[in-house]
Amino acid sequence: MDGSVSLDQVVMRFGDFTAIERSSLEIHSGEFFSFLGPSGCGKTTLLNMVSGFLTPSEGQILIGGEPMAGVPVNRRPTAMIFQNLALFPLMSVYENIEFGLEVRGVNRRARREVSERLLSLVALEGSGDKQVAELSGGQKQRIAIARALAVEPRVLLLDEPLSALDLKLRQHMRAELKAIQRKTGITFIYITHDQGEALTMSDRVAVMSAGRIQQVADPMTLYREPQTGFVAAFVGENNRFEVSVAERDGERLTLDGGLLGRLQGRAVPGASDGLRVGDSAALFVRPEQLRLLGEGSSGPALEAEVEAVHFEGAWLMLETRLVASAERLRVQLSGEQARGAASRLTRGERVRLGFDPAEAVVLPNDGSPVVDEETGEVKEAANVPAA
Amino acid sequence: MFRQLSARFGSPVAMAIVTLLGMWLIIMVTLPQLQMIEYSLRPNLLPAQLGGPDDRLTVANYVTLFNNDIHRAIFLKTIWSSVLVTLLTLAVSYPLAWYLAKVATPRQAALCILLLIVPFWINEILRTYSWFILLAFRGPLNEVLLALGLIDRPIRFLSGDAGVMVGMVYAYILFMVFPLYNAIESLDGNQVRAARDLGAGTLRTHRRIVIPHAKPGIATGCIMVFMLAAGSYAVPALLGSPGSRWFTQIIYNWFFEGGNWNQGAAYAFLLLVLCIGFMSLVMKLFKVGLGDIAK
Repeated sequence: MDGSVSLDQVVMRFGDFTAIERSSLEIHSGEFFSFLGPSGCGKTTLLNMVSGFLTPSEGQILIGGEPMAGVPVNRRPTAMIFQNLALFPLMSVYENIEFGLEVRGVNRRARREVSERLLSLVALEGSGDKQVAELSGGQKQRIAIARALAVEPRVLLLDEPLSALDLKLRQHMRAELKAIQRKTGITFIYITHDQGEALTMSDRVAVMSAGRIQQVADPMTLYREPQTGFVAAFVGENNRFEVSVAERDGERLTLDGGLLGRLQGRAVPGASDGLRVGDSAALFVRPEQLRLLGEGSSGPALEAEVEAVHFEGAWLMLETRLVASAERLRVQLSGEQARGAASRLTRGERVRLGFDPAEAVVLPNDGSPVVDEETGEVKEAANVPAA
Repeated sequence: MFRQLSARFGSPVAMAIVTLLGMWLIIMVTLPQLQMIEYSLRPNLLPAQLGGPDDRLTVANYVTLFNNDIHRAIFLKTIWSSVLVTLLTLAVSYPLAWYLAKVATPRQAALCILLLIVPFWINEILRTYSWFILLAFRGPLNEVLLALGLIDRPIRFLSGDAGVMVGMVYAYILFMVFPLYNAIESLDGNQVRAARDLGAGTLRTHRRIVIPHAKPGIATGCIMVFMLAAGSYAVPALLGSPGSRWFTQIIYNWFFEGGNWNQGAAYAFLLLVLCIGFMSLVMKLFKVGLGDIAK
């Protein structure tokens, strides 16, 4: 059973609007693959093309090596879990799960066997005769999974299925989805705007923005080796500094940070290969990479004034403003530093901050990403790099 | 009801509303009906005989229908034809309602609804007459069919029930389209997509997902069209032939040509009972309550 999915030079246009820029991608059979991006980035459009609800304007989609052009939705080896689940409210749980088999002309007894097996897979034995309205949110979720699995799809498509659940349940369902995927060995293609979901569950993630796949990588690489400024800003949290390259020694870069003076960082293989002395660049320092420097320490340091201290339990989040440039800087302290700082730091206090240049990445400056005014979330890449 | 009204408008206004409503129901609905029941249960007498020994309650007027072969046949034919009209209207309206509710863009839907409604700005008699012209032996429909070579000689559409059927489907289509449209419109589009995604073809998607969801709308539409068809007078009178008389025409004849209001009232009540019976049957068949239909 080959559940690989290939996008081959796929483009999707709606009138004048290009929802998906020319994209190619290989999703391996049995992989848990996520498309991560802010709303409106085109990820749902991609999913709808794989399921067959939309036909690409250009290019083609292959599932298990077979071109899907001309294959209608009801003939594709895919099954979809909808954002609102779309369980059939007038049918019992059994009927819901068995619907796809009923369509395929499977007899009643064989259908019931399959639904019993799937009910036990999703840990809902004995719920078959219930009506959909009697189920809780998490139970509905599981029935939707069982219903999709009943047709033995080679690829399961999930369109933000957890977004309607509350936080605790969502976290629980993450683990469960991952376990089901491992047990069944089916290719999962998961759509989400929640990076937590994408990073915890996926084997690989494609980060999307403005109809363009920004980077495809495993979660760890995505976090540590972002290929674009958008990925660096969108995945995890990051402090961004506009700098220019002063010196380059292999991957070690010395940067001119303007008012901040000399800074150091690490070039990302691939994306930053072309950075030369004098080029404009962006330095990304994650909040957890920053630490407080003691009184006597020497070397480069960022001087900042504390604006707010948030105690988060396991760590301490500082909101600070750099003295030299008045830029905001978020600092996450944990362990010994957090314990020390929690009792000592107050608003208005000056601190000296340092980071390990081998951790902070430098990327070509592709503009600062568009950020949602209210939530502070990254919405879109600043400019679209030339194709 | 009174308590809610008086909490909202104060008791004098509430009293006025309830009184007006009560008067409306009693004077405009209940009393005339009671009067007709009374008529139907008395023999048709000359004025001189009123209050005499023959003026007593009897069910003779009701029995007439069962003793008169022709009237009974027309009664049964009216039921049967009304059922056919209802099914035909449903068959025509369902695809239309589906298109309006789920396929058409808002612009297309608005245009389509306008086109559906515009003919109803014209009086029913005129609309029916236009069908008379269209379906006539030397009318445009026959001309077109002849010109296309689909038929060799003109068809007599207006003899038999065909003309009446077409006229009625046309006259009552809105009463079917709108309840259906409302019902289908409220269906979550993802339900249909999910069914497709799980492998269902068009027919099965409709049979298992759309139609069960639209059931209250289908029941409402069917009840309305059946009642209107069974109680229709103008369409069968204009488009029918002597061989396709409707029961309403018999009732009309008793009242205005036979001058026998008592007999006419009895027939009218039999038709009413029939309609109520049909309505309950449909509601039972579709497992819908009065509340679902009122929606």
